Amino acid sequence: MSAFVQYLISGIAVGCGFALLAGGLVTIHRVTRVVNFAQGMFAVVGGMTAGSLLARGLPHGAAEAAAVAVTGAVGLAVGLAATGRRGTDARAALIVTLGVGFLAYAVEIMIWGDGPRSHEGIGGAVTLAGAHIQKQSFLVIGVTAAVFALLALFFGRTYLGKALSACASNPYAARAVGIDVVRMGLVAFALGGALGGIAGVLLVPLQPVSYDSDVLLITNGFAAAVLGGLDRPGVALAGALTLGVAEAMVAGYGEASYQTVVALGLMLAIMTWRASRRSALQEEAAR
Amino acid sequence: MSGAVIEVADLVVRYGTATALDRVALTVGAGEMVALIGPNGAGKTSLVNAVLGLLRPASGRVRLSGRAGLVPEGRQMFDDLTVEDNLALGAWRRRGRGARDTAPVYRALPRLAELRGRRAGTLSGGEQQMVAFGRALMAAPDVVVVDELSLGLAPLVTADLAGHLRALNAERGVAVLLIEQNARLALDLCGRGYVLEAGRIRAEGTAAELAAGPAVLDAYLGGRAGGTEGSGS
Amino acid sequence: MTTAARAAVAAVAAVALIVPLLLTESQVSVYVLLLLSATVAIGLSMLMGYAGQVSLGQASFTMIGGYTAALTAVHGAPTWLGLLAAPLAAAAAAAVVGVPLLRLRGHQLAFATLAVQLILLNLVGRQDWTGGDIGLQGVPRLRIAGYEFATEVSYAYLALAALGLVALVTRHIVTSRPGRGLRALATSEVAAASSGVPVAAYKQAVFALSAGFAGLAGGIYAYYIGYVAPGSFPVLLSIEYVVMVVVGGAGTIAGAVAGATAITLLVQLLNDVGTREGMPASAPAVLSYAVYGLLLVLAMLFLPRGLVPSALALRDRRPVPKPRPAESEDRPPAPAPTQRQP
Repeated sequence: MSAFVQYLISGIAVGCGFALLAGGLVTIHRVTRVVNFAQGMFAVVGGMTAGSLLARGLPHGAAEAAAVAVTGAVGLAVGLAATGRRGTDARAALIVTLGVGFLAYAVEIMIWGDGPRSHEGIGGAVTLAGAHIQKQSFLVIGVTAAVFALLALFFGRTYLGKALSACASNPYAARAVGIDVVRMGLVAFALGGALGGIAGVLLVPLQPVSYDSDVLLITNGFAAAVLGGLDRPGVALAGALTLGVAEAMVAGYGEASYQTVVALGLMLAIMTWRASRRSALQEEAAR
Repeated sequence: MSGAVIEVADLVVRYGTATALDRVALTVGAGEMVALIGPNGAGKTSLVNAVLGLLRPASGRVRLSGRAGLVPEGRQMFDDLTVEDNLALGAWRRRGRGARDTAPVYRALPRLAELRGRRAGTLSGGEQQMVAFGRALMAAPDVVVVDELSLGLAPLVTADLAGHLRALNAERGVAVLLIEQNARLALDLCGRGYVLEAGRIRAEGTAAELAAGPAVLDAYLGGRAGGTEGSGS
Repeated sequence: MTTAARAAVAAVAAVALIVPLLLTESQVSVYVLLLLSATVAIGLSMLMGYAGQVSLGQASFTMIGGYTAALTAVHGAPTWLGLLAAPLAAAAAAAVVGVPLLRLRGHQLAFATLAVQLILLNLVGRQDWTGGDIGLQGVPRLRIAGYEFATEVSYAYLALAALGLVALVTRHIVTSRPGRGLRALATSEVAAASSGVPVAAYKQAVFALSAGFAGLAGGIYAYYIGYVAPGSFPVLLSIEYVVMVVVGGAGTIAGAVAGATAITLLVQLLNDVGTREGMPASAPAVLSYAVYGLLLVLAMLFLPRGLVPSALALRDRRPVPKPRPAESEDRPPAPAPTQRQP
């Protein structure tokens, strides 16, 4: 029982990290139709920047906030490269984000080297139902919940948030009422950068990252986001938590080396199952 | 013409090698109701998009004085947003919080007040057209551009919307550019009009002149496809 | 094909045939890898440009081809048989996974192919019979009808023959009646289906065929290099194939070849420069990532349709038509049916 609780909570915490990445992917894709393959890079840059700032003596909180601001700016820059030039279609933009990801590798290796890095989060652990759980896990879960609540408020209640939703819903009509769709896309990229940065800042104390950790992060974030067609943040959140918990359970009860296989297999199964249900429905509708 | 809200001269729009609009000239005076009629594929929507600055013309001049509100072809709702949000976003170009107050639109179009919390994607075609109209009003426009008022709507609904359009023009002096396939409806509403065919202005004049002319008879009888336009009308 | 195009193809073919004789041994090895990449890229280009599907896991099929060739050879089967089995195994694998996967569309399919590769890499890395993470060593050289492919140059001609075969097959398909159906499929699946194109079967067929091409390249690779391991077929290789196709111009054979050539030569050049004496230890990585990334970004921004279509447009001295006109670019289809007025 205590082991189960431990796997569950640490799985949820890791799933929250994936959820933040997936949330960034969805935010960007909804507004710009671009799949941002640089999303994992935001987390790496965020985590490493926070570590460097902490090492320079910045207190906790300030260092993390500054790191997230940096990744927001990086997100904006990626957005400018991917969507700033007229006539870049979504597929070309995807390759651009991939290219920016490689460029970022070069910068990261120059600044931080090519080894894994980590920094201290909030230390210590608590005992819950006999399970020994790192406090950082609770921090990750709490912050993620708050971030998603704020995102819901932002998109549902603010004028800017509604304008972003409008661009996602109908770009032509958005332009017709005078919304600058390209600029909104940049807002989405900056937001996506910040979300990725938050994920990195939170996850690095739990598991060290190196410059190429973004592949693992983007794969899991993509898996979660794509479950809802890259357009539905709620589905992405559910998918990310499922992934995180499934990986923790496989690693805990089974063999750690199979955790990716099981999690990805699960995602594939859910996706194809949903697709087969959908086409059956469509057939019925056509009858 | 002085005092014009829309002035278009020598407008050329191309998609790749296809020419959608060929040296088109058109004017809408302040407070005037002008019809633009023509078959599918004549280039009407290209003209609308050029006037609103949604596409970059190959050459020519487009001048829009004041604000324009667009009722786009196919309604173009923000499907996932509520009617209220759809309306509020119509005020995006205007400054200040007061600009987003939707109450005046609900007063003008009371039916919308009942629908305010509904998601726009769930509404009927007529209701959506009403929302599109309300959204255009939120821009506090000097001119309302209506791209296909009647398309896909029941005659009664069309008549209702036409009444609102007439009232808007008469009571508040808002100019109207009405793009229509239904020439009879357009010429009933507007004092003056243009006939656009295959990317060119084929005829212009008062409603009476146009109704009697051969150009309109063609458009009426329908849908001689223009064919030069790259995509959609 | 116009006379000019025919002449161009003949010229490229002649150069391709002569080149191996002029290069040093290490240059020939780059040439072989280039040809193998181009073989895979042609299949992927057909999948992307004609069937409209993106595979982010195409290296899985290269891997299946490579392991098929290696396993059969290690267990004593004649190598020519392994070379035949490699594309067949890859195509069969694609046909099987294609049944559930091709129900998915767009990004979901792209993810699914990526996931399949990650799963495959993981599984292969843990089985004893595949040699685990170390892989299979000591794959014998290819021998066909008593002739042993032993030299670098012999593999260059073998890879060239494979590329030629794949290009011919692709060209034949593209210009055939099903090929026109495929083109329709890339534009609109619904429209293609409603005009009688058997969409599911065609997608399945193209997917399997592109996998077969990758498998063939993988088989030759195994005999050429002499060993296969999961590390020889990373996800990055799959992404590189996609990059080659997009940089060259999706949907054209010439584009795939040009993209493979450009990317392979670029990566090689960056490796050479980075490993020169006097460079710091991290220089190769930093330099190659930076230049590779930068060129990708620039290529996509300034030649978004790819090298070959842009070059053709330049030759014809006309502007590259935008993929879609600005007007319809972001407009959803009009929901209302047109009413004809009396």
